[in-house]
Amino acid sequence: MTTQNQPNTESEGHPSGDDRYLSIDKSMRQFKYEKDSLLEVLNAAQEVFGHLSRDLLIYIATHLNVPLSQVYGVATFYHLFTFDPQGEHNCIICKGTACHVKGADEIIAALSEEFQIEAGETTEDGLFSLTIARCLGSCGLAPVIVLDGQVYGKETPDAVTRRAAEVVALSRETLAENVEVG
Amino acid sequence: MNFDKLEEIGNQERSRQEAYKRRIFCCTSTACLSAGAGQVHNTLDQAVAACQCDANEAEVVKTGCMGLCSAGPLVRVDQKGQDPLLYGNVSPESAQYIISKHVPIQRDDLTVDEDEMDQSVAPHDFPHYRASLRRIRTKTDFDRLIIPLDIPFFAKQEKVVLNETGRIDPDKIEDYLAHGGYRALAHVLENMTPEEVCNEILGSGLRGRGGAGFPTGMKWNFVRQESADQKYVIVNGDEGDPGAYMDRTVMEDDPHRVLEGMMICAYAVGASSGYLYIRGEYPIAVERIRKAIRSARRWQILGRSVMGTDFQFVADVRIGAGAFVCGEETALIHSVEGKRGMPRMRPPYPSTSGLWDAPTVINNVETMANVPSIINKGAAWYANIGTEKSKGTKVFALAGHLRNTGLIEVPMGITLREIVYEIGGGIPGGREFKAAQTGGPSGGCIPMEYLDSPVDYESLNQLGSIMGSGGLVIIDDSTEMPDFAKYFMEFCVDESCGKCVPCRIGTVQISKLLDKLIAGGGSLEDLEKLDNLCQTVKTTSLCGLGQSAPNPVLSTLRYFRGEYETLVQDAPAD
Amino acid sequence: MAELIIDGHKIQAENGTTVLEAALNNNIDIPRLCHHPELSVSGGCRLCIVNLEGYQNPVPSCGLACEDGMVVTTKNETLSGLRREIIDLFISEHPLDCFTCDKSGACQLQKYAYEFGVDKTRHEFEISKPLYQDDNPFFIRDHQYCILCGRCVRVCEEVVGASAIDFVKRGFTSQIGTPFDDPLKDTTCVFCGNCVQICPTAALLPVSRLDRGREWELDRIKTICGYCGVGCQIEYALKDGEIVYAQSTADAPVNGEFLCTKGRFGWDFATAPDRLISPMVRKDLAFELGLTDENWQLPETSPLSVRNPKIEDSFVPVGWDTALDLVADRLAAIVKESGPDSIMGLASARCTNEENYIFQKFMRLGIGTNNLDHCARL
Repeated sequence: MTTQNQPNTESEGHPSGDDRYLSIDKSMRQFKYEKDSLLEVLNAAQEVFGHLSRDLLIYIATHLNVPLSQVYGVATFYHLFTFDPQGEHNCIICKGTACHVKGADEIIAALSEEFQIEAGETTEDGLFSLTIARCLGSCGLAPVIVLDGQVYGKETPDAVTRRAAEVVALSRETLAENVEVG
Repeated sequence: MNFDKLEEIGNQERSRQEAYKRRIFCCTSTACLSAGAGQVHNTLDQAVAACQCDANEAEVVKTGCMGLCSAGPLVRVDQKGQDPLLYGNVSPESAQYIISKHVPIQRDDLTVDEDEMDQSVAPHDFPHYRASLRRIRTKTDFDRLIIPLDIPFFAKQEKVVLNETGRIDPDKIEDYLAHGGYRALAHVLENMTPEEVCNEILGSGLRGRGGAGFPTGMKWNFVRQESADQKYVIVNGDEGDPGAYMDRTVMEDDPHRVLEGMMICAYAVGASSGYLYIRGEYPIAVERIRKAIRSARRWQILGRSVMGTDFQFVADVRIGAGAFVCGEETALIHSVEGKRGMPRMRPPYPSTSGLWDAPTVINNVETMANVPSIINKGAAWYANIGTEKSKGTKVFALAGHLRNTGLIEVPMGITLREIVYEIGGGIPGGREFKAAQTGGPSGGCIPMEYLDSPVDYESLNQLGSIMGSGGLVIIDDSTEMPDFAKYFMEFCVDESCGKCVPCRIGTVQISKLLDKLIAGGGSLEDLEKLDNLCQTVKTTSLCGLGQSAPNPVLSTLRYFRGEYETLVQDAPAD
Repeated sequence: MAELIIDGHKIQAENGTTVLEAALNNNIDIPRLCHHPELSVSGGCRLCIVNLEGYQNPVPSCGLACEDGMVVTTKNETLSGLRREIIDLFISEHPLDCFTCDKSGACQLQKYAYEFGVDKTRHEFEISKPLYQDDNPFFIRDHQYCILCGRCVRVCEEVVGASAIDFVKRGFTSQIGTPFDDPLKDTTCVFCGNCVQICPTAALLPVSRLDRGREWELDRIKTICGYCGVGCQIEYALKDGEIVYAQSTADAPVNGEFLCTKGRFGWDFATAPDRLISPMVRKDLAFELGLTDENWQLPETSPLSVRNPKIEDSFVPVGWDTALDLVADRLAAIVKESGPDSIMGLASARCTNEENYIFQKFMRLGIGTNNLDHCARL
């Protein structure tokens, strides 16, 4: 069965009833369901859902009438698209040139050591993700990290590790409390 | 609406601004925001409101980059009849003090107490200096925040592209109009033919600022001469070089300038539709350009009848998603077409067959941003700046081991020495200059002995580097060059699209050789292998990414071969 | 028409022809791996690079349109050196298993390694995608041999229209895959096997091919596929009289190199052990006619309800003359007893046009009925 010659189907939400799909509908409608808008729609999907999934890609492929293999090929090509949910806390380390020469690698190593994960991974308990960004454009503050959306400049490995450990520990405590209560 | 009306709005805005006794500009560009400019801006706003002074006493303006990013957050006070004052490292606390110093206050509780400060901390000891500055107590403390505007960092620059950046509110089209915005477009539509516009740009000597340096006027003429029902203009805002943020700044802080340049180009080549391709890592730039497009549309500067003329043009934003290779023209086109960002062979060039196979102009953000000034002041004026073959100015993101880092715009032909030691303020921490890296992962390192080289396309090419998009990283003697080259090669391995063998596998093998050498397991034969492999990858890769990926390695081999040789086991002892 | 010079020869080429095509049309060979005449141009393998006068670096000839006055050199020391380097890079991540590889002798990478004298890689060997996928009965996907030429992706999209596979991820980690790496049967794949035929290396091989012999040991027979009225040409590869795999060749008039799943993989009936090889008469009729001594009665339950029914349990083989006489006698008797319209003829797409023509003539003139239909209407 090919999907080449079937008409685009106007989308009205996902059978699951997940409201977030309506944002995707809006995005596809905005671009008139053109196949070319695939990247824009995937961008919207990544933003709304936080990560891409099988259901999402099938939904988009169906309504844009693009073969699923091509949608998947595009989704795996661009690094801003992720398939795994991000951790509750996310630490982005800038690996731009200025940050590199000012010791970004040491910060990455320190965080890897502390949380026992590599860059691009999330801890097993889902509480902490370590991500690399290619350049955040704040080179005057090198080395730069972003912890939970907050930018910190001129950081040292110790300071970053301490900061990250604190917020994660807090989440762990809250989780433990909930478990006790529940 | 037609330009007369727009000009009137601009004049009204200018009058409104001139009515203020003082205007306080707070930089809210990404770098300063990262340093806390958001809070500073809020404090300034609240403080002025709390003064309860007359309406024309002070206005706080949210503006863009003022250049000296290492001293951010930056606040500038423009006062009628006096020289402007620039404050650096501003905290919410010192922001209050700025207001209390400049704006007539009716309340005593806004003055800051006098106290002793730590005099032993030196200005170049950055982390501690910054921390100490946040403890503003005395007038001496406060005066240390003032950055003289006649220091070489500012004096040696020449603003064309960054003319309004740091002086206007990027969200207000009226502000752009008040500074002469859209006059160039109006002039072009009324008084020039497309051919005349192309030739004016050709005559100015403007060359592509994305790195390749192709004569812009020539590219426009190619597209203009194609006969087609539909043509496109694409502004390339996929600034992927790590450490480069020139285009981001222009898009965030002067979005209308980019739009105006784009529209002049569209008129010149016969395009009715255009896209601004902005990388996904720049959400603020995306937002500001979108806002600018909306404003322009509302006032019929974009649309079916631009400024009431026959010219029609629509523009939209397309967002990238994390692929450095999409800065390459054909990869960018594929990305806009919703595909994997993999380049294709050229010819055919985009000027013949580009977006959806239509003739397309693709120009970098900075290239486009030069255009309104060239039209306003003439090709001859522009050609007078710079060198014989490299005209005009270049915006650089100056970073690395330097006292002063940030965004600068300098005339082509300025020497590296002036940039490093005068503008940059020299190397801090008692270290020595080692190399200036230009062109990011596609460029090379310029060592001390060539510091007096002029910064222009040809000189940099001859030295084994490229102009690139404007990333200029200064490294001191604490950096080891093989390691530095490896950093760039890792970047290329990560960003390779994988289509052609030399880049896909070649960059990995070059990386392996560098690893082997750095770990001390390499031989002289490996050095030779490295050189050969770099040449193969350079000669046979399909696109610019692969073709220039070996440049950092080749350039460090050329100037710092000794460092590689000391890593090698069987090197002859010196 | 464009007139250009390739390796000193004056060549005429139609507008729109590429330099590679023009060269090949004039018996000038240029090495190439990702190019295929039926598919769109890729330009990724970099082997077809040539020197074009006026250009400093070599350019790929597969995408270079012929123009008047071009002067092209396809072979010289430098180009050979570069091609050698490129092949070296290919094999830095390609296992050199030629001794035991089924593709040996037909492998394009092996062909060019031989041509350019590359016997081993000078680089550090690392396979980028050590993945072996064996999820369907028709072909295996052994990614360690894949050179990412993209031919399979292009044929699936451009010729077949199924778009079941595409490039996934990027850079060194790139591979060809299905969405979410689903098994092929859960995708739009129609198992036509055109990707298998068009693959230049051992990355895609028919399951029936594995360990069955070397390419040069196989016999080839060309025939016409019996499955439908299109009549594609098939070339069977045989070892000791047994079919090992089916493919087609570029010069095949109807279909070129392309087949469908039935033609390419549906040939196992030909050598199936229970295939009929002579006419058979049921044992009770055979006993009646004196063709067998065994007095056999039709059992109450159908022989087909027996697991693995053996045909020799219920039928005896007879010669063609006996069988034809029997059929003719019986049909004539039925016509006499119940009239011609009591007989119906069912033709088949697996017959040739000529056979179907004769059959319907036989039914209309021989039997005397218009009760005629064809399996395509089912």
